[in-house]
Amino acid sequence: MEFLPLILLSGLQVGCVYAMMALSYFVIINATGILNFAQGEWMMLSAVFGAALITAQLPYPLAVLCAIGGATLVSLLAERLVIRPLQGRNADINTLVVALLGILVVVRYSTGLIFGREEVRLDGPLPAEPMILGDSLFILPQTLFVFGATATVFAGLWLFLHRTTFGRSFRIAAIDPLGAQIVGVDLGRVRFAAFAIGGLIAAILAWLYGPLYAAGYLMGEAPGVKGFIALIIGGLVSPLGALTGGLLLGLFEVATAYYIGSLYSEGIAFVMLMLFLFVRPQGLIASRWRLG
Amino acid sequence: MSTPPTASALLDRPAWPAKRLAIWGAIALVLALLPAAITNGYYLTLATNVAITMILTLSLNFTIGRIGLFSLAHSAFLGIGAYLTAILAQRHGVSPWLTLPVAIAGSCTAAAIIGVPVLRLRGMFLSVATLAFGLFAEVFARQASDVTGGAYGITGIPPLVLFGIPLRGTGMYLVALTVLLLTALILENIRLSRFGRAIAASRDNEPAAAAAGIDIARTRLAGFILSAGFAATAGWVYAFFHLTLNPYVLSLDITFVWLFIVLVGGLGSMRGTAAATVLLGIGPELLGFASTQQVLISGILVLVVVLLAPRGIGGLIEDMEHRIKGTTHG
Repeated sequence: MEFLPLILLSGLQVGCVYAMMALSYFVIINATGILNFAQGEWMMLSAVFGAALITAQLPYPLAVLCAIGGATLVSLLAERLVIRPLQGRNADINTLVVALLGILVVVRYSTGLIFGREEVRLDGPLPAEPMILGDSLFILPQTLFVFGATATVFAGLWLFLHRTTFGRSFRIAAIDPLGAQIVGVDLGRVRFAAFAIGGLIAAILAWLYGPLYAAGYLMGEAPGVKGFIALIIGGLVSPLGALTGGLLLGLFEVATAYYIGSLYSEGIAFVMLMLFLFVRPQGLIASRWRLG
Repeated sequence: MSTPPTASALLDRPAWPAKRLAIWGAIALVLALLPAAITNGYYLTLATNVAITMILTLSLNFTIGRIGLFSLAHSAFLGIGAYLTAILAQRHGVSPWLTLPVAIAGSCTAAAIIGVPVLRLRGMFLSVATLAFGLFAEVFARQASDVTGGAYGITGIPPLVLFGIPLRGTGMYLVALTVLLLTALILENIRLSRFGRAIAASRDNEPAAAAAGIDIARTRLAGFILSAGFAATAGWVYAFFHLTLNPYVLSLDITFVWLFIVLVGGLGSMRGTAAATVLLGIGPELLGFASTQQVLISGILVLVVVLLAPRGIGGLIEDMEHRIKGTTHG
């Protein structure tokens, strides 16, 4: 049991990454009904772009801002150039899935082509030395940064959705798109803003996840899939679902890796997804979304 | 078209007209004689790879275009088939031919197990759930080194032997071609069969299909399992063609390329899928692009097709046929 605090800490840390990813899916799916497969790639772009800017001797805060801004901009470009024309001609959901996967592949491989295929280190905003808290207990400043940033982003989004008029129009668009239009909600604007916020969250996530791992053109794949699984586990109805699902998945993964073996920790996400689809397809936080 | 079709004509499966048989026979003959024209080993390898890819794209086209299941787990089914084949033949000395039924049974079982919960999902949710299975399979192959050989994979797979002759080069091309033609023939027959029409009905109008007595969930599951069987057969050919196997075969990006081929070809169109497989399988290689850039090229191409020509190559072929025959569709 002596490692329990460490398992909890690192489980929550991984969980925060999944929760943020799930949240970026949630914003877009809730406002537009689109599950944007390419979310993981905005995170990857932000990390790879940022690492290149830091290497180019740009001051750290400026590099972070440019990277986040650049990745968000690409997310908006994808919405404008691909998603909007497709929704404009009422393309079916399959066409959208393929278009999103097309965006994912094009972004991933052109990044690999432009920035190289090597994984590079990405510096976190806080010093790298661990802080010793007890005999076998230490914590990385980056871990604290992950917790703090996740809490801030979730709180910020909650305030936006519940306390601002524009945020409320997001929720109306999710409940009843037609009714929303009747009361004057511009669905095009909502979709644009949803891609902006979703892209922004993923771009911020790069600076939580990147320093723990590395920056490379393939880094978006695993968190991208796990973030979706977290959202299914938690439920698609509110940001709380994303948070619950993410933290639960992270804790389970780390606990499985420690108690059973790291080989099985990768499988646990898929097993949990199957279990939830079987037993509670609406997710932990009950959802009004029908999945089947 | 003066007499209306009788009820029995609607219920019976349409016969194969002699013209269609002749076309299929001619295609098979030309492809079988191809190695005689190709003397360069590189082009033969390319042709074999295209044949293997086409087994996968045709069965993926069946899953997506005919059943309407946007599954992204095809690489996992290919991988299960290929790894079962390699492990049995290389480590346990099982006869290469006997590994085929095991590979198919393994993939079909996996498809049945994940199919039950996953096929309850719709649209994008089904895609991501199958994607999660594909990712799981890839990570498993990378990490379970005791079983799969880890990142290095399995080498030294013994070749297929027919009448005492080990099959390599031209021999494996003919094996791949045989499997490909059988796959195409079976899929084309299914399209015309009762099962195939039940599948199409479930895709196009669920309430009507259910009212006509079709068990939609079971029909879809059967189709899903069937397509996993084709993917496993492709994996079996793959293992004996390359004689080595590593987790790259399970890469999700490769699944995306197959998906893009199906879309560029035009959903549901077998001819279009076949044409797009040849185009994307050979084109970038001949133009001198590296294989990683092939993924990028297929991604760009699919975006162009989705935005500008939503019905793909198959749609273009149909339009041309209609123009030649002087009729309009729709």
